[in-house]
Amino acid sequence: MNQIILETKEISKSFGEVKALNNVNFYLHKGKIHGLLGENGAGKSSLMNILSGIYQPEKGSIIFEGNTLSNLTPDSAMKLGIGMVHQEFRLIESFSIKDNLTLSKSNIYVENFNEAYSKYSDIFSLSVSSEQIISSLSVGEKQKIEIMKLIFNNSKIMLLDEPTAVLTPQETNQLKSSLERLSKEDGKTIVFITHKLKEIKELTETIFVMKNGEMVAKDLDTKSVDDKELINLMMGEMTSSEVKKNNIKGEEKLVVQDVKYTGNQDKPNFLNGMNISIQSGEILGVAGVSGNGQVELANIISGVDRGFTGKVLINNVDVSKKGVKARKKLNLSYIPENRLGVGLAPGVSVLDNSAMREYFNASYGQHLSRKKMLNFLDILIDQFSIKTSDPKAEISTLSGGNMQKLLMGRELISNPEVIIASQPTRGLDVSAVEAIHNLIVQQRDNGSAVMLFSEDLDELFKLSDRIIVLYEGSIIKEFLIEDANRNNVGLAMAGINE
Amino acid sequence: MSKYILSKKSSLNELATLYSFLIGLLIAFIIGSIILILQGQNPIDVFSLMLKLSVGSFNSISSSLNKAIPLILAGLGIAIINTVKLWNIGAEGQIFLGAIFVNLIYINTDFNSPSIHIIVLLISGFIGGSVCILIPAITKVVFGVNEIITTLLTNYIIIGITIYLINGPWKDPNSLSFPVAAYVGEEVYLPTIGEKLSAGFLICVLFTIGAYYLIDKSVFGYEMRIAGGSVMTAIYAGINAKQKAFLAMLIGGGFAGLAGAIELLSQTHRVSTGISQGFGYTAIIVAAITGMRPIGIFLVGSLFGALTIGGSVIQTIGVSAYIAEIIQALTLFGALIAQFFFTYEIKEVENG
Repeated sequence: MNQIILETKEISKSFGEVKALNNVNFYLHKGKIHGLLGENGAGKSSLMNILSGIYQPEKGSIIFEGNTLSNLTPDSAMKLGIGMVHQEFRLIESFSIKDNLTLSKSNIYVENFNEAYSKYSDIFSLSVSSEQIISSLSVGEKQKIEIMKLIFNNSKIMLLDEPTAVLTPQETNQLKSSLERLSKEDGKTIVFITHKLKEIKELTETIFVMKNGEMVAKDLDTKSVDDKELINLMMGEMTSSEVKKNNIKGEEKLVVQDVKYTGNQDKPNFLNGMNISIQSGEILGVAGVSGNGQVELANIISGVDRGFTGKVLINNVDVSKKGVKARKKLNLSYIPENRLGVGLAPGVSVLDNSAMREYFNASYGQHLSRKKMLNFLDILIDQFSIKTSDPKAEISTLSGGNMQKLLMGRELISNPEVIIASQPTRGLDVSAVEAIHNLIVQQRDNGSAVMLFSEDLDELFKLSDRIIVLYEGSIIKEFLIEDANRNNVGLAMAGINE
Repeated sequence: MSKYILSKKSSLNELATLYSFLIGLLIAFIIGSIILILQGQNPIDVFSLMLKLSVGSFNSISSSLNKAIPLILAGLGIAIINTVKLWNIGAEGQIFLGAIFVNLIYINTDFNSPSIHIIVLLISGFIGGSVCILIPAITKVVFGVNEIITTLLTNYIIIGITIYLINGPWKDPNSLSFPVAAYVGEEVYLPTIGEKLSAGFLICVLFTIGAYYLIDKSVFGYEMRIAGGSVMTAIYAGINAKQKAFLAMLIGGGFAGLAGAIELLSQTHRVSTGISQGFGYTAIIVAAITGMRPIGIFLVGSLFGALTIGGSVIQTIGVSAYIAEIIQALTLFGALIAQFFFTYEIKEVENG
């Protein structure tokens, strides 16, 4: 039985100037579990959104069971039996499980609901009554209901967008056996999207790989393909570094000693005794798939999260017991991963946001002189070429690139000695990325110690002098930049320590 | 294919709030006129009489401003609390508890100097307002309970306490069956400027300047704005967001409590259910219309005071005093709608 149930031919889709999908050919074998692998932004979700009718492709065709589909909508896709589980759940929190499962008009288990519910509860090892309200369920249970919803809506094709991102390893194992039973017993065609190598190897039968909006490998047999090959496909060839290295000046600027995270009871062994040291003029790249301890580590060093044991030293001063302001006074700057919401306050003016690093230092006078604040903003706008129309306008009226430049400018203009930058270029266009990279290198040349958290390997290879890889809250591996390549860093990111 | 969406304008018109207020006022007067015409009245006659009787002489201006004092003070309190993006619906209760605290301290203390006595009583009123909002402030900061509900509910509790006091322990034996507390002595009456204008108006001017400084010019105000924008950003910037919210609520409640103290010491001179005639609710309208700006609250509060006086005097020609309240409420409606068009624009976007 090797029948193609769904096929896309030469699908293209752009958002503004960004080409999300470029002539993508993709096909699904009936009854098989397919893996779709790719980095963040490779186009996986866009392709799935097209298959489920949410986006309309600009070019190309979709063929389902031999018929070319035109103008696919979420409604018609559901009727044909193409269902998707999104990364953010689409359940009605205040309704019961039963109400959520039987909500859609495509629902096929109206009469014999209880029978079907107990059958699939068994397949998903779910042990809650169908009368339970969704909001009382755990994340893992909600996801099972999301997938079950597709079955109840008679989906033949189930598109699962990063289903394991919210699951514990045990839940992931459970999901694996549930999906196997669904494909074997019910003949469901499943697409499993992920950027985690380990899971795709365990869960799928055949693998497709996307990179930069293109399908770079099709229908690889999971059993015979090897990790290195997949990483090469997913990450692509290394672009040569243009940034001169070896500016290390020697003094230790930031030291992290035996740090253990104690802020979350559910993660007892997170950051278990971490040791890091960064010198003046050095950029330490921190690689890792998101959720492996990056946010906790950055928050501990910057003073935002005080739930830890161990020591943090800035310029040889122990700041472990000190707050954010004290660390700023010791010349630490923190560019958080969450630009709007942490680094910048939404609903507050551009002007107020620009003053946030120094406002307590009387740089704007004892009483926050508006004139001095405006002068400072003018300097930022001028020096970091920020485009903004009105200082009083809300910060969210700025584009992502300009927000990030304002945030970087605010944190970097005082030439901080220690810089913690998390995902500084995420979601920015090429010219803004270049501008941000230049800023970081300039700071390094001025003698700052920089800790750069990034999921973009190109960025890490371009800027870093040294790379550490975080995996499940520990430093799994450390590389000098000369020894690092996509292969060994990628394997370490996947948790494989050779 | 393209569609239209609402998006926030990237540049804001400085005077947008003023324009929307004026548009709102115009809409209110037009609808008010229609109601008057339906009642067989000539709106021009009615409005010119209202104008004459509310601002026609120093005495009528004084009456109007006396009415404005509680609106302005409670409105300023609401604006301070809204700087951390919280809503105080409890100004009415805070006014009452402010007055109750004044009476409580008056009954139990004795000062030789009347001026010191008055100052102590005013401070008591401020503290009364803060005490009134204490429980909503604690439940907000500790448990995250919605402050709109808790401040609103506190109103009913405090008004219940007031009714108990004036029917029970504080009931004036000389008032026969009428439930009121005894009058305070004349030595603690607030002095007047001219014949009628309460010295409370000067306090009101000072507190307007104070609130303006607190919200717009002080470091505390800046920290409140950041905490109101995003708690996560506040933590990132080293600002204790909960502490700012707690303090803002206590200060804002105190402003309304002070309004209750001034009302007692200059108008009613005793605790009764007439301490506030819905000032705490009208103050929400005043604060909302001005976009929570202290100077605007002072001006609009004064205008609303005049409208209230104008509304009460036109009863003499057979027009209901409620016409003034209708105009106040419609002004808010019109202003909020107008404000929407000043803040948002309709944009055409590509589909997808």
